[in-house]
Amino acid sequence: MATTVPSIACLGVIGRNNNPLHTSVFPSYDPTTNSFRPVRTPLQFSLIISSTLDVFELRSRHNTAAGTGLTGDFGLLHAIDDRLAAYGFETNTGTRFVAIVDMRGRRLDPAAAAAMADKRLAGAAAGLREGEMRPVFKAMQVAYIRLLQNPFFEPDEHSPPAGQGGAKITSRKFGQDVRRIGENWAPGVAVL
Amino acid sequence: MDEYPAGSLDHTVPFLLTLGTCTATPAPHDAVLSAALQDQAILIRSELAALDSDQAHALLRYMHDRDASRLPCNGRDEAARKYRLRIRTAERSLLLPPRHARIPDGIELPAPAPAPPAVLHSPYSPLSPVSPLYPDGLIDTQWIRKHQDLVPSVLLCFYTLVSDPTLATLWDNKIKTDVNNLRAQLGQSGYKTRLAVVLLSDQVIPSPADGVPERLEAIRRGCGLDPKLLFLVPPGDPPQELERAAENMLTTLYSVAVEYYRDLGRHSRKKRSRGIAPQPTVPPTSGTSQTLSLAGWNVRYDFKSAVFAEYRLEMDVALRSFEQAYENLLSSEVMELIPSWSPRWNEARFLADVIAVRCIRCLLWNGQHSAATRRWQLHRERIADFVDRRGRGTSNYGWEAWEARWAVVMAHLVEQADIPEFAPATLRLYLPPEKSARGERLQPWELLHHTGYWYRLAAKHLHLRRAFARAMPESDRRSPSDSPASQVAKSAFMYDTYMCPDPYEEYPLRRTGVDHGQLIVDRLTRARSEFLKRRQTRFAAEAALECARELGLAQDWKGVIELLRPIWKELPFRAEGWISIMEELNWALRTAAAEVGDAELVLLLDWELLSQNFTKRPNWHYDITKSLRGIIPKPKSKPSVSISDGQLLSFISASFLFKDAEGKAGQSVRSQLCIKSSAHPGAAPLVLSSLQVSFNRSVDSITVQHQVNGKGTQQRRGNVALSTVILARQLDDDAKPEPTALDEADSGVSLSGSADLTLIPGHSLVLNMEIPLREPGETRADSLVLNLESEEFDLRQSLVFRERSNANLWYISAAATKLVAHPHPLALRVLPRPPKMEVRCPVWKEQCYTDEPVSLEFEVENGEDIEALSKLDVRLFGETPPTFTLDIPGRASETSSSARSEESRLSSIQLGAIPSTKTLSVRLSLPPIERSSRYDLTLKVTYFLPTDPGTPISQTAVFQLNVVNPFEANYDLLPRVHPSPWPSLFDPDGVAPLPDNDDETAYSHLPPKGISQSWSLITRYASFASEPLRVTDIDIAIQPSPAAFRCTSTKRTKLPASGAGTLIHPKTIEEAAFDLVAQKPTVDDRSASPLDVSLTIKWTRPDTDPSSSSSQINTTTLPIPRFTLFGTEPRVLASVTHSPLPATRLVTLTLRITIENASNHFLTFGLAMEPSEAFAFSGPKQTTLNLLPVSRRGVEYRLLPLDDPDEAGEGEGEGEGWWIRPGLVVRDKYFQKVLRVVAAGEGVRAGKEGFEVWVPGKRGVEG
Repeated sequence: MATTVPSIACLGVIGRNNNPLHTSVFPSYDPTTNSFRPVRTPLQFSLIISSTLDVFELRSRHNTAAGTGLTGDFGLLHAIDDRLAAYGFETNTGTRFVAIVDMRGRRLDPAAAAAMADKRLAGAAAGLREGEMRPVFKAMQVAYIRLLQNPFFEPDEHSPPAGQGGAKITSRKFGQDVRRIGENWAPGVAVL
Repeated sequence: MDEYPAGSLDHTVPFLLTLGTCTATPAPHDAVLSAALQDQAILIRSELAALDSDQAHALLRYMHDRDASRLPCNGRDEAARKYRLRIRTAERSLLLPPRHARIPDGIELPAPAPAPPAVLHSPYSPLSPVSPLYPDGLIDTQWIRKHQDLVPSVLLCFYTLVSDPTLATLWDNKIKTDVNNLRAQLGQSGYKTRLAVVLLSDQVIPSPADGVPERLEAIRRGCGLDPKLLFLVPPGDPPQELERAAENMLTTLYSVAVEYYRDLGRHSRKKRSRGIAPQPTVPPTSGTSQTLSLAGWNVRYDFKSAVFAEYRLEMDVALRSFEQAYENLLSSEVMELIPSWSPRWNEARFLADVIAVRCIRCLLWNGQHSAATRRWQLHRERIADFVDRRGRGTSNYGWEAWEARWAVVMAHLVEQADIPEFAPATLRLYLPPEKSARGERLQPWELLHHTGYWYRLAAKHLHLRRAFARAMPESDRRSPSDSPASQVAKSAFMYDTYMCPDPYEEYPLRRTGVDHGQLIVDRLTRARSEFLKRRQTRFAAEAALECARELGLAQDWKGVIELLRPIWKELPFRAEGWISIMEELNWALRTAAAEVGDAELVLLLDWELLSQNFTKRPNWHYDITKSLRGIIPKPKSKPSVSISDGQLLSFISASFLFKDAEGKAGQSVRSQLCIKSSAHPGAAPLVLSSLQVSFNRSVDSITVQHQVNGKGTQQRRGNVALSTVILARQLDDDAKPEPTALDEADSGVSLSGSADLTLIPGHSLVLNMEIPLREPGETRADSLVLNLESEEFDLRQSLVFRERSNANLWYISAAATKLVAHPHPLALRVLPRPPKMEVRCPVWKEQCYTDEPVSLEFEVENGEDIEALSKLDVRLFGETPPTFTLDIPGRASETSSSARSEESRLSSIQLGAIPSTKTLSVRLSLPPIERSSRYDLTLKVTYFLPTDPGTPISQTAVFQLNVVNPFEANYDLLPRVHPSPWPSLFDPDGVAPLPDNDDETAYSHLPPKGISQSWSLITRYASFASEPLRVTDIDIAIQPSPAAFRCTSTKRTKLPASGAGTLIHPKTIEEAAFDLVAQKPTVDDRSASPLDVSLTIKWTRPDTDPSSSSSQINTTTLPIPRFTLFGTEPRVLASVTHSPLPATRLVTLTLRITIENASNHFLTFGLAMEPSEAFAFSGPKQTTLNLLPVSRRGVEYRLLPLDDPDEAGEGEGEGEGWWIRPGLVVRDKYFQKVLRVVAAGEGVRAGKEGFEVWVPGKRGVEG
């Protein structure tokens, strides 16, 4: 089996009203064609991201019952199949970040693989530790906060306090931030 | 797991077989030997009749209820569970498989003499030629089934312990014989099956007196039984007795069974430790003639001992052995050596699967969930690797079929393990890793997820399997009989057919093969139910969507609708804005609905799909009127669809605005309805048949019908079409039989109008409406209903208006908008009906005058449609307001009271009922007001309409009352020379008698005898009124000052004597003169005295007839500032008389200078007359006058004016005359003080430099 490491396949932001605010899809390594392309169609990613809402709901119900989960980090929401897994984070204001990780999203080039083997980091190919997604959410939160600081950004427009739905985020800067986060993350990366 | 041979994957449980009861039980022993072994089977048979008593049944039932073969495979309540047995019932006999296989016929043993006799082996061993494994197979399901189904660990025989003493011994002996017989048969068979006996006592209470223990002991000894394998079961009364006995029995039997399997396990370990591969009975002659290698034998032995350990529930031991077997199996010595074309290859794969499944089960048993998942994953990877290297690769349908199967196997294992943390109620999706795996890098998938995920994974692989199958070339899909041999040979090497059909069966050319769609749907349905159990509704929807796609391929349209319709209807994707998901759902449902012919659903979907939010599908008509074309069958009745707000993603948005935040009942308010279509550009324009706006209260609902050339003119500019709808009131219940949907929503009155309701995609339709308001209160625009009626269908869309802070745009015209300022444009406050009663003053005087009685007439006019009961409040407000009187015709007059100093009021004066359009006059009278002032007069009419007696309506009118002084005047008091001589001090007549007392009034009755002075009072008065006034009389009133002097006056005015008066226009000055003569009572009193006079003007308003009533004459009194008369200072008075010279045109003037000395001193005055060019004079040029006290003297000059300034051309013209200034200086000789010469009479005036004298000109003289 080719040595592959996890990468982010999709990053999503969901608003307080369960409305999609932003979705960025990242290409994954496809060993059959030796190229990079998204593992799913946008519709499928949309379905995947929306289905995490179920888990958010279950988990937050459980958290309120148990009084846990104050950090907002929901960790692994669920594995979608043997390749993709969804991780989640909820801010205090109810905005949710979802990271869909492709466990075989990047090919490890042999030299790097050898170097990692030396450092006993070869396990990185095998899976993820708890908390390894935290930098992603931290960075997304920073990007989101930066977006909120923009005086022209009207949060109520995107998640009306009383109501349904909301507009999507159109900020180019936010999109770039998310893109940067998604492209730069790899297991073990602490700062994004 | 169903695809694996029966029993191959089942959890093994110790097998107990009962013998000697009838088989009418839930679990008869029905295992059948394979045909090959049937005739060699060993028969074990009991000679006694099978028991059929209730007791036996009860016991059997109890045992079967505790049958463990279907128990969940986990080690949770192992401590509580004392036994775990698989219990089957045989009636009287059972067949055991032969211990040794026979040498098949036709096989010739090799030369018998020197060789040892042929060793016979078990028929299940690869050593025996009868076995399918012969000569080089590993192990197969048969072996597992042999132990699970055929060979019991314990054979439990049922007998009755007869209590009848006469029969007891006979029966006991029969039992002994039978048991011994059975034991012998078992011993012959070679199996080590334990034999146990249960005796069912038919006696209620076995008493020691009956010798039961002795009998038992005898039987036991007679049978040679282990004491613990002989059980006595009391009759089942009470049942607890039986249960306790059964419980004890089963516990004991279980330990015996475990012992049995331990022996077997020990045996197989012993064989393994021998370290040699046994030789088959007959060396193989066919095939490769290869026998099983030692490594293969080790796999077999390890597998066996693992299975036996599993029987004993020693799961760790079992796992170890299984792992060992697995490693050996996949090692280079076993599977690597098997060629992939050989059937043994698939057998080995199968064995690997079985071992892996059993490994996973062991791990799950121990609660190592993540390890189990990893084991699952590992096996998959190992096999994939193996198949890739040695087999036919993983890129074919066979591999995907296996992958799907492998996922389903895991789902089954998880189901069987019945993990309590996975109960749906816990809502857990996956389990946390066990302690040992914590902290490791785990794949997310390695946290064990619930079965829904596994089924879904299976479905995914089935998709791939189908894709691979579809990709097969036609040549491979042809049945082998039709295709050339070379092709068959080739495809045999290309396709992995492990546990799946050959290519020509998988996807045959001309008939249907494997129904992949159905397989996928099965898996997905299972997955979906699992997701739903755990409230993963959205995930379930995703599965449903995949499922629907499969059903769509299979053209099961009803299924699609059943599956997707609830999702489409209930799930919040639409509300939350997951547009792409909705789009997918919509199109999937649209296709299905069209196929099924569900016209209403088609309409709903087409309506929603018009929204621009969805991506536009090319070549789609996007015309709602065409949506029902091609729908078969045609709906029987005309479909009618009603869409509530928010039910669909509406492409029409509507907003409503009231222009103003307030309106009044009885008036109308301007409002605007804006309907915007955000349909796909290029979609067909939508022609609404009508629309209806409804309000929550007090405003009637509005119906607008479509009309192409509506009465309202439409203004179109850019994307906006603005039209004005003229609303007319329409009673729905009048003769207008229009059975549209409109009528049912509204009963009573509604407003209707018409306009062009064509809605072009992307455009806005703006309707201006004037809505009449009827009742006061808060109202709100609630909702809008759009109706679309056509021959094919009726569609009705409701929209609820929502307030948006940023979009309150009012279309002034189609091109221009402005922001409506009030914050709630949907709400309107309807104020109460404005009063229509009017209070007015028909003859309002702008000014009232002081000293005039004011009378004001007011009219109260009822402008309402009906009569009104009215009351009147009058308030006069200002500084010290007068009390007033109100006269109402037909009623007593009312006089005001003043509650406060600055307010005078009259409250709640009943006016009675005023008929509609009629007027009531009231008169307000104010007494004369002395001072000029300003008042606010407020009249408030409060009235009730008989139709609404509870609501008072009031109308207030405020008037400003200005009271001003009509006249002002100024005054001059000019001295005159009194003609009569002064009294002499020495004249006794002039001496007043000494007063008797000090009473000052004493003089009053005496004739005055003092000094007299004459004065002329000239008053100039002007009218300051705003209109001409008629002055009828003018006079002065002298305030009496009796002590000081006596004064009389004579009036000289220009007023006509008739008393009709003169009309005085505003701002004109009129003059009136009064001659005053004052005389001191005595000569002694000459001191200065004040004179107080006031001017009295009698006037009327010009419009009143002065003669009609005297009461109309008002008297205004103007006080005249105080003058001072008399005094002791000397004064010089100049007066002149003119005497024209006859025969000349000259005038001589006689200037008389009178010097009065009222003092007690003797005064000397020097008079000097300067010569002047203006006149000539005669008289003393310079003289001295001596004046005695209280005397006066005069000097006369005669003046002849010299030149006429007219002639010199410098006069004042007209020849009237001119002023000359005589240079006369009067000097007090003693004080050397020049006295002022005071003009005292006509023709003399005071100038700047002394007095001046009037010289009349020609005309003056002539006149």
